[in-house]
Amino acid sequence: MVSSPVTAIQDVQLKRTDRAGRRIAGRRIAPLVLFALGAVATVGSIRLELGTLQHPEPGLWPLITALTIVFSSIVILVRPGAETLEPWTSKSISVATGVSSLCAFIVLFSLVGFFIPAVLMMLLWLRVYGGESLRTTIILSLAGPLVLYVIFDSLLGVPFPRDLLLGLFL
Amino acid sequence: MDTLSNLGNGFSIAFDPTNLLFVFIGVVIGTAIGVLPGLGPTATIALLLPITYTMDPTASIIMLAGIYYGSMYGGTITSVLLRLPGEAASVVTTFDGYQMTKQGRAGTALGIAAIGSFIGGTVAIIGLTFMAPFLANIALSMGPSAFVALMIMGLFLVTSLGTGSAIKSICMAAVGLLLATVGQDPINGSARFTFGQVPLLGGLDFVAVAMGLFGVAELIKTLEQTEKAQVIKTKIKNIWPSRKDMKEAAPAIGRGSILGFFIGILPGGGGVISSLASYATEKKLAKDPSRFGKGAIEGVAGPETANNASSSSAFIPLLVLGIPSNVVLAMIFGALLMHGITPGPQLMTEHSGLFWGVIASMYVGNLMLLILNVPLVGVFIQMLRVRQGILVAFSLLIVLIGVYSLNNTSFDMWVVLAFGVLGWIMSKTGFDPGPLVLAFVLGPILEKSFRQSMLISGGSLDIFVTDPASAIIFAAILAMIGFKIFGGRFKKRPAPVLFSSGSGSTDTVAATDQTVVSGGVELEKSSNTPM
Repeated sequence: MVSSPVTAIQDVQLKRTDRAGRRIAGRRIAPLVLFALGAVATVGSIRLELGTLQHPEPGLWPLITALTIVFSSIVILVRPGAETLEPWTSKSISVATGVSSLCAFIVLFSLVGFFIPAVLMMLLWLRVYGGESLRTTIILSLAGPLVLYVIFDSLLGVPFPRDLLLGLFL
Repeated sequence: MDTLSNLGNGFSIAFDPTNLLFVFIGVVIGTAIGVLPGLGPTATIALLLPITYTMDPTASIIMLAGIYYGSMYGGTITSVLLRLPGEAASVVTTFDGYQMTKQGRAGTALGIAAIGSFIGGTVAIIGLTFMAPFLANIALSMGPSAFVALMIMGLFLVTSLGTGSAIKSICMAAVGLLLATVGQDPINGSARFTFGQVPLLGGLDFVAVAMGLFGVAELIKTLEQTEKAQVIKTKIKNIWPSRKDMKEAAPAIGRGSILGFFIGILPGGGGVISSLASYATEKKLAKDPSRFGKGAIEGVAGPETANNASSSSAFIPLLVLGIPSNVVLAMIFGALLMHGITPGPQLMTEHSGLFWGVIASMYVGNLMLLILNVPLVGVFIQMLRVRQGILVAFSLLIVLIGVYSLNNTSFDMWVVLAFGVLGWIMSKTGFDPGPLVLAFVLGPILEKSFRQSMLISGGSLDIFVTDPASAIIFAAILAMIGFKIFGGRFKKRPAPVLFSSGSGSTDTVAATDQTVVSGGVELEKSSNTPM
């Protein structure tokens, strides 16, 4: 298994205690969600028609996988484990805002093309999240999207939605 | 002799100027991302998948393979100099490699690691060259039931040898299999789990799923980290090891090559497990084990050799059986599927050029890496100056438009983002995305083989027992489950390196090796490795 250095490091060290490890109730949320997913998928598979082992219909294979999810999530619910987990911190909120900005990018991308949302996204990610200087931020936020636009739209021929700004010039 | 003439053809393909360029691009990117603590090989290959879509299949696999084994070299550099493993397999190298740096022997550590990696990689490719055709011939005679058994064994080993909890990995593998059923039924074409969405009829795009779980998830995770990058103060000199160093390291390199080769063939075996196994072996065989953790050259040479050998031999199950043995190879599997090529025993005959071209390119790539890593190590260290914020912002932008370019629809952008968030939540809750992606790739083939087996047997599950090949494989799986359950009762014995009773071999090695444990803890304190 290739895992990230962070998880590999966690595997190597054994004797670390953390408060997150004791919050067992919190560890049951994920298996509950998985259980719900498995249950919904089970019902969905049965609705697809199962057929027989000799003549399996579309639902049989998904049913096998859905039941595996149900059973394994029950085991995790009963024994949620005590391995070290990355704690949820106030910094986790910035992940949520970062993801929101990416959602905004996708919506704007469909409406006004690539350039404007790309510049806005770069401004936010370089200045606010990356802590770059104002000068670096502005140069990279304008030059980066322009170069990417030329590479993807003009050279590779990826049909971007009509660009409100660059569409006037390029 | 057939093998040699095929290999000759392979070299003529690998030496084609375009392919040569892609070997070079692959190994340079691999080394670079090994150095950059921001991206591992998995994330990088995930990010590059859309680009390979437009490339010639042979060139794209040559490049992706280069990134994989190249990253094994690159990860060494930061492990030795800064005690920051650029990718998981290099964690072990920090134990003795960083100590050598403190003693002013950084150059020797890097040099012996590069030489060991080259030897290990080359030995494994020679093994791959001669073993692959032999195994492919056996595999060609296997029926669908044996393939079901093999894939289940692959998934089982990945879940049990992986780095997380086994039951969580099984659950994730099942989720991956379920996600693979989204779209049209492979036999009668009826829609499954599409919720009336037309873009879902073709199924979830593998590239979007992989880029989300590995690429986007790693990138957004950086928002939680606050650490600043370290600066290298060490001067690197005497990279070419002295005769005494070579003499000390040679047996470790020899053992590491063999150990890495065999561990790499096992599903779930590439990378970190082979380097841990080699470290444990070297320490056990050493005349004075107390030197380990204090700058023993064997502690660098053995694991570095083993991780490179295993990353090359891991191509055997992929190219011969069509079973990716770890996540990086699952990505390469996905890249082949995108080009309409299904890896498996018929690959060698149906796409002989690709098969031998990729193998030959690995000989060339390893040689390039030796050259890149011995005289040019200083150039790569400069890469540490790239600031993470810039890297992340650009990577995200490229991910979003890259995934858009797959089908020219913003639907895939939403998929990649959704899986990115899912991957981030999974890492926070201790679920490994690896088994999910592996199962997602294997899902359609597993379902097809299962249904074929049922058709052949007339609906009887007996076929898995009566077919000798599948019976042997299932027996092996049962034996491993038995060992996992009961193996823990024999703890007094010297701990087996591979099949431990814990959540993975890492625990076993750590538990028997105090140096490793303390090294790991120190590592944790000082590490500011953002993924």
